[in-house]
Amino acid sequence: MFSVVKWTLWQRRWSTLWWSIGVASLVLVTLAFYPTVHNQAASLNKSFGGLSNSTLALFGGTDFFSPVGYLNSQLIYLMLPLLLIILGIGLGGSLIGRDETEGTIEALLSRPISRTRLLLSKSLAGGLIILIVTSVGTAALVAMAQLVHIGVSAGNILAACFSCFMLVLTFSVVAFLLAATGRGRAAALGIAVVYALGGYIFGSLASTVHWLKIPSLIFPYHYYHSADILRGTFDWSSILFFALFTAGCMLISWLSFRKRDLG
Amino acid sequence: MINVMDHAIAISKLSKKYRRSGTFALHNLSLYVDAGEVYGFLGPNGAGKSTTIRTLLNFLQPTNGSASILGHDIVKDAVAVRQEIGYLSGDGAVYLKMTGQQYLDYLGELQPPASKAYKQELTKRLQANLKKPLGELSRGNRQKISIIQAFMHQPRVMILDEPSSGLDPLMQEVFYELITEAKDRGAAIFMSSHILGEVQKVCNRVGIIRDGKLIIERNIADMAQEATQTFDITFKEAAPVTMLKQLSGVQKVTQNDVHSVTLHVHGELSPLFALLAKHTVTKVDTRALDLEEVFMHYYQAEGKQDV
Repeated sequence: MFSVVKWTLWQRRWSTLWWSIGVASLVLVTLAFYPTVHNQAASLNKSFGGLSNSTLALFGGTDFFSPVGYLNSQLIYLMLPLLLIILGIGLGGSLIGRDETEGTIEALLSRPISRTRLLLSKSLAGGLIILIVTSVGTAALVAMAQLVHIGVSAGNILAACFSCFMLVLTFSVVAFLLAATGRGRAAALGIAVVYALGGYIFGSLASTVHWLKIPSLIFPYHYYHSADILRGTFDWSSILFFALFTAGCMLISWLSFRKRDLG
Repeated sequence: MINVMDHAIAISKLSKKYRRSGTFALHNLSLYVDAGEVYGFLGPNGAGKSTTIRTLLNFLQPTNGSASILGHDIVKDAVAVRQEIGYLSGDGAVYLKMTGQQYLDYLGELQPPASKAYKQELTKRLQANLKKPLGELSRGNRQKISIIQAFMHQPRVMILDEPSSGLDPLMQEVFYELITEAKDRGAAIFMSSHILGEVQKVCNRVGIIRDGKLIIERNIADMAQEATQTFDITFKEAAPVTMLKQLSGVQKVTQNDVHSVTLHVHGELSPLFALLAKHTVTKVDTRALDLEEVFMHYYQAEGKQDV
C-alpha cells in the first residue's frame, strides 16, 4: 500500500512543489498589503457599503477591512479554497482516472494488490498532497499574520485553514468518486467543478436569497463559516458534515470500483 | 467439463457481455493450459482475445462462467491469482515520465523480482535502456521494459497480449528464448499473437477465436500434419512429372528444368518416397514448414461461414 502512496507522491513531487509555492505566494502578497489597507479601513468600508448584500455575500460577508474581515474575504473564504479546490479536483479526477485512461492501472493491478488497496493508496496520496500544500499555505499565513500584526490568533488561523482543508476534501472526493465509478476524467473534472462553483454561489447567497436556503444544504460551502472560525465562535459540528460527506463518497467509490470493468 | 485443479489455467464457459453494446465479446469460452505448455491464442482483430485476457486478470468481470488460475478463482481470489501471474498488456502502457529503472522499481516493490541478478540478466539480454524516460524510448524499447516486468519475478503463469509487437527480429529471438526457458521451468504460458510464425515457433497448442467463440483448438504437431510441405527435387534423368502429379497428396508440381521439380505435398509422404526410390535422385531440399497457410485456412473458412 505504501509503495503506491510513495510512488504517487514521487510522480507528483514537482507539481506539489509548484502548488505550494503558488499558494504561499498568494498568502504573502495578500497579507503584504494588509498594513496599507488597514490604515484606510474606514474609507474603504464606506466605499464598499454601497454594494448589494448578495454581492457582499459572495466575498464572505460585509466586513472586508477589519483583521478578521480582511483575512476572510481576501484569503480564507474564497481565494485559498478556490486554489486548493482546483488542485483537489484535478487530483481527484486523475489519481485513478489518468491511470485508467492511459492503461497504466493494468500494470499496477496485475501485481498482487487488491482494488481496495489501490483505491485507498491513491486517495491517501491525494489527501497528503492537498495536506502538504494547505500546510505550506497555512504556515505562510501564520507567519505573515505575525509579521503584519493582524491581530488574529494563530490558533484561529490554524482552525480556519483546517476547515478549508476539509472543505477542499469534499470537492476533491466528488471528482475522485466520479473517476472511480468510471465516468471518465473529463466528466469527473467537469461535474466536480460545476458542483464546487454551484455550491459556492448557493452557499454564499443563501443568507440573502430566501429560496436558496434549502437547496444550499446539500453543498459543502453551506457549512463553511470561515469568518466565525477566525473570530473563535465556530460551531465545530459543521466539520462533521465535511467528514461524513468525504467518507460517504469514499464508500461509494469503493463499492463501485471494486467490481466494475476497467478501461 | 474442465477440472480447475488439473490445469494451470482453466476456463469454463466464460462469457462477457458488454453493457453498452449489449453484445457478447466472449461466448461460452472453454479451454485450458497446462504447466510447461505454451498456448497460442489467435484470432482476427475484435475476436475477443484481449477481452479473454483482461477477464482472466479480473480487469473485466465475467458475465457468466468461471475461470481459475492454479486453482484460484479469477474473481474471488483475484489477488492470489495475481501473485502467480506475469502479465504483459497489448497496448504497452507505461508511465512515460519514469525511467525504465524507476518503473521496474515501482512494480518491483509491489511484487519483488525473483532476484536482482535475474532482473539484471533480463536487462542485459534484451539490451534494455533503463536510464531514459520511457516517453523518450521507441515502442520496441518500451516493450523490452514491459517484458522485463512480466518475467522478472519468474511467475508460474504468464499471460501475454501480443508480446513481441514492436521488437526487432534479434530481440524477438531473445524473447522466444525467454519463453522457452519459462516453459522449461514449468510455467504455463497463454499468449495472444498475430505473428503466425511466432506461434508456430513457440507454442504447443493453439486456439483460434472468432466473434468471441473458440472455433478450433489444435496441437501444433497436428497442424504440421495438415501443412503443405515443399520439396525441391533433382533427378539424374528427366523428372517424372506426370507420375509425380498422379501421387496422392501432391497438390502442385512445378518443373524448374528437365531434371528438377518443386513439389507441394499435403499429408502422408510415403507415396512420394516410394516413387523416388524407383528413380535416381541426386538432390532433395526441404523448405521450412510453414503453418501460416493452415492458420489462414481456419481464419478464412470460418469467415466464409459467417457471410
